[in-house]
Amino acid sequence: MSSHLAAAMAIFRRDLRIFLSYRTMAYSQALSAVASLAVFYYLSRLLSVRTFSSSSSYFAFVVVGLVILAIVQSTLVLSTAVRGELVAGTFERVLLSPFGAVRGALSMMIFPMVHAMVMGTWTLVVASVFFGLTLHWATLPLALPVGILAALAFSAIALLIAALVIVFKQAPGIGMVVIGITFISGLYFPTNLLPLWIRWASAVQPFTPAVNLLRFLLVGLPMSSSPWLSLLKLLAFTAFLFPLGIWVLARGVFMGQRRGTIIEY
Amino acid sequence: MEARPKQLLEAQPRFEALQEGPGASGELFGVHELRKAWGDHVILDGLELVLDRGTINWVGGANGIGKTTLLRICAGLITHDSGAIDLDGLHPHRQRSRYQARVGFLSAGDRGLYARLTVRQHLELWGKLSLLRRDRFRSTLERMIGRLDLAELADRRMDRLSMGQRQRVRLAMAFLHEPDLVLLDEPLNSLDPHGVEQFLGCLSDVTSRGGAALLCSPAASDDVSFDTMHWLQNGRLASRRSG
Repeated sequence: MSSHLAAAMAIFRRDLRIFLSYRTMAYSQALSAVASLAVFYYLSRLLSVRTFSSSSSYFAFVVVGLVILAIVQSTLVLSTAVRGELVAGTFERVLLSPFGAVRGALSMMIFPMVHAMVMGTWTLVVASVFFGLTLHWATLPLALPVGILAALAFSAIALLIAALVIVFKQAPGIGMVVIGITFISGLYFPTNLLPLWIRWASAVQPFTPAVNLLRFLLVGLPMSSSPWLSLLKLLAFTAFLFPLGIWVLARGVFMGQRRGTIIEY
Repeated sequence: MEARPKQLLEAQPRFEALQEGPGASGELFGVHELRKAWGDHVILDGLELVLDRGTINWVGGANGIGKTTLLRICAGLITHDSGAIDLDGLHPHRQRSRYQARVGFLSAGDRGLYARLTVRQHLELWGKLSLLRRDRFRSTLERMIGRLDLAELADRRMDRLSMGQRQRVRLAMAFLHEPDLVLLDEPLNSLDPHGVEQFLGCLSDVTSRGGAALLCSPAASDDVSFDTMHWLQNGRLASRRSG
């Protein structure tokens, strides 16, 4: 088991080293986060709607949405990473190692998740220090395990897309997936503003309970239902979706080996 | 120093089927009744191949005839349609992890490297993915760096190496975990005489510990002394023993 953990950490180190080798990437991402916050801060100054009691209330709402968006995007980069590895011929090396392709693909999610957590923390710090966001310190530490749980639930979709990439060499655009998630989970606006015919979609995926729960834990925004119920929903989605995602990926790798798409680039 | 295609074509009729079977003494690896088709195009059709311990073996054949497909199937990279593959009792897919721990694979070309990682970082990564034991991890790494004369290049990034230097790194990765069976697709590509010498040393390490090597290339190299030579044609191997 310890050698498997060491292998997973070796993949994390590989991804970190490649990220750091592009020296300006970290700075540009940090500055982009500040720019996004500034845009939403000034947009929130324009708002005066019944849904939010004040401008600060909407800003707090949307900042958490931005943090979760980073987590969502971090899980979804897996398919892009797998595609890159297939093209470079490095995925077949992972496949032909005792560690294996499925464990390798799962390990490839560690760095983006850690990166998202770091960027999320940075976003909250900047929002708090420069834009006056009030953090809910009493429940703040609980946001980390909930964030990890949410990332695991989201990663099921990433595993599914990665399996499609291995078998068919293409997958639905990540941009479209992110836009869809943004709408139905209420990252930028409350889901009760959605038309009735689509509102059901906000209840049948893990994003909405994760978003609501993290808003409650990070900035103390009230929830329409019990936090425990949202946590239970998130746990149930994770327990069901994550093993399903692994199974789909394993089947995808096997189909790729049978159809030969695993060696195409 | 590879044989001319014309000479190869002349040499081809001299290949005859070896009288070997799965029970031959010293057998390490066997492929029996192997079949693989891409759609209607049959690549391998009832192919037989046995590799004995301590031997270096060659598979040749025209471009696109299926040599690389054969190697990929033997490595467990792609699946076969029917037939049996056996490495000392292990199946490439049913006992995947144990099988891979005993196989080293080198693909053709210069792929499978990360441009922005150094030589040492590559070897460390593949050592970990090979699940090398912690107590022999460093010594294995250093031994392979020495074996392929990579010490001076160890901290250089891959995108700053020549093709021949990259090939030595790729070979180091294939031999790193001390596999019993090495499957090498055109391993001499871009190697200078010094590199060839180092490569032969790696092959010698494998055979001296009772392993076997299978090399494939369009033409056999004079640099390597093969125990058996096989010619792939019409999905099957015609074979001969050297000496």
